[in-house]
Amino acid sequence: MLEVKGVSKVYGEGTARVVALDDVSLSVGRGDFVAVMGPSGSGKSTLLNIIGGLDYPSAGEVVLDGQRIDEADENALVDIRRGSIAYVFQQYHLLPSLTALENVLLPLLFRGVESGTNKALDLLTRVGLEKRAEHKPGQLSGGEQQRVAIARALVGNPSLILADEPTGNMDQKTGMEILDLFRQLHREGHSIIMVTHNPETAKHAGQLIVLEDGRIVSRIDQRGDKRNED
Amino acid sequence: MRLHHLVAKDVMRRRRRVSYAVLGVVIGTMTVISILTIGHAGESKIYAQLEDYGANLIVIPAISQIDLALGGLDLGALTVGDNYIPAAKVSQVRQITDDMVNEALGIEDERYRYSSSVAPKLYANTRVGDVSIVVVGIDPEEEMRIKTWWRIQEGRYLEESDQGVAGAWVAELLELSAGDRIVLNGVDITITGILRETGSNDDYQIFIPIGTAQRAFDKEGLVSVVDVRALCTACPVEDIADEINMMVAGVRAVAVKQIAMTEMGMMERVNRFMLALAGITLAIGLFGVVNTMITSVHERVRDIGVMRAVGASRSQILRVFIYEAIIVGVLGGIFGYVAGTLLAYGIGPIIFGGTAITHVPRYFGLSLILAIAVAVAATLYPAFRATRVKVADSFRSL
Repeated sequence: MLEVKGVSKVYGEGTARVVALDDVSLSVGRGDFVAVMGPSGSGKSTLLNIIGGLDYPSAGEVVLDGQRIDEADENALVDIRRGSIAYVFQQYHLLPSLTALENVLLPLLFRGVESGTNKALDLLTRVGLEKRAEHKPGQLSGGEQQRVAIARALVGNPSLILADEPTGNMDQKTGMEILDLFRQLHREGHSIIMVTHNPETAKHAGQLIVLEDGRIVSRIDQRGDKRNED
Repeated sequence: MRLHHLVAKDVMRRRRRVSYAVLGVVIGTMTVISILTIGHAGESKIYAQLEDYGANLIVIPAISQIDLALGGLDLGALTVGDNYIPAAKVSQVRQITDDMVNEALGIEDERYRYSSSVAPKLYANTRVGDVSIVVVGIDPEEEMRIKTWWRIQEGRYLEESDQGVAGAWVAELLELSAGDRIVLNGVDITITGILRETGSNDDYQIFIPIGTAQRAFDKEGLVSVVDVRALCTACPVEDIADEINMMVAGVRAVAVKQIAMTEMGMMERVNRFMLALAGITLAIGLFGVVNTMITSVHERVRDIGVMRAVGASRSQILRVFIYEAIIVGVLGGIFGYVAGTLLAYGIGPIIFGGTAITHVPRYFGLSLILAIAVAVAATLYPAFRATRVKVADSFRSL
């Protein structure tokens, strides 16, 4: 479903030149759960941004369902965000003016879909927040806000969910609950790529990718055998 | 939920910031509306003052003098034509004047017809004792409408056919006071009042009703001159004069050009000055709003990123800001009108000494249009910048 081929990302020039990603390739199948790990600054978020079309690679290709994301123009990217890819961020990134329900409905609003309240309520129930639908983000805990963000990601039926350290701002217990939620989504057939610091995630991911200095240093597939790439 | 609901909720949450933007718009529209409202009142005041200038059209008998000469010998002058205008022609003059004024004003409904002041006069010389004086037959009501500066110093204005008022000097000369009776060419007249000194010929004249004058001096159905007051900036005074000269035989209508041109020029200058002031104020307001809107975009970089990430297109982001600008504009227009009108009530009387300010409801629409135009114009550039926000950057900046 997703092919990342030889992707590099270079910031700056000359002595200020920083290589964020260096010749990264990976393949994600439908229904896969891929965990991306690595120390800070290893290029995890950059990789996720490039896959999601939020950033352009300096070299290489990103192909999602036969479509070149790295070459997509502005309009094509809007279509991709409306259809194929949904994001879950570490900072939740909910709109503070809107209730939980309205935040879930937001992607539909930009698609011009006005009926969707029932679906959004179902999704809030799905993430365990049916009683919080009319609360605003400021009235919700971090874990609850992240559940809203997950419901928002699901409302548009994306083929791929990109999660950038979704438990990074949470205590251990809440983080585990959110990870459980992702695992359930995975079991229901959703494709997920998740950047995480949490080793727990790795156990449940079908594929674990470890980045260091922009290079993939380790890949563990779902059968659990580890091979070094250096 | 639709896009404008989203904007409305956001405006509610950020009311403090939004109210700064509204304030910027209010300052601009308030100044414009107060200038216009004061100008409007000032205009009425100027009109009222112009009314005091008296007639702007004078109709006199069409007489001409032919110099007679035989070789080098001067034989004097011969006056051709009548020295009087038949009273019937006065109503013709009135008809033409009213028709043209109402046409110029665009009034078609009979009920709202503007009616000019048409004051016929008959001049006659007579003697009271051994003093030679000028008696003027007037239409008391019309004369008062034209000579707004007339004040009664003593007694009251004439009402009956056997009454008259005397100018200040002639009253002094003849030692007249209110209630005295005099005989003018064999007709008994009661002087009901003495006019306050005007500094004009009126001071030397005695005014009696024109019908009485016609009988007393044997000029039945005749008038010497007709003063016409047809005042409004749209009045084509010279055109009216031309029309009268063409349509009414035996009279010559003369436009008192100086007055007409002063009226026009004054209003034009006042209007131009007002417009210039209004333009400058709006421009200043515009910059204030641009500033607030740029700050607003800056504050919401993250929200813009969120909206982009969940599928908002650039034009949708643009619309978010334009909708917000419209809300700011509508609020600014409403408060700008109210504040501008109040400001006019406050400072108007100081500028146009004692002028009564009245609020002008049609400026409310103008206020709304101006405010929305300013708010939208001020938002275009910041909104364009908002559409260029990169999703990844918007989150990284935190």
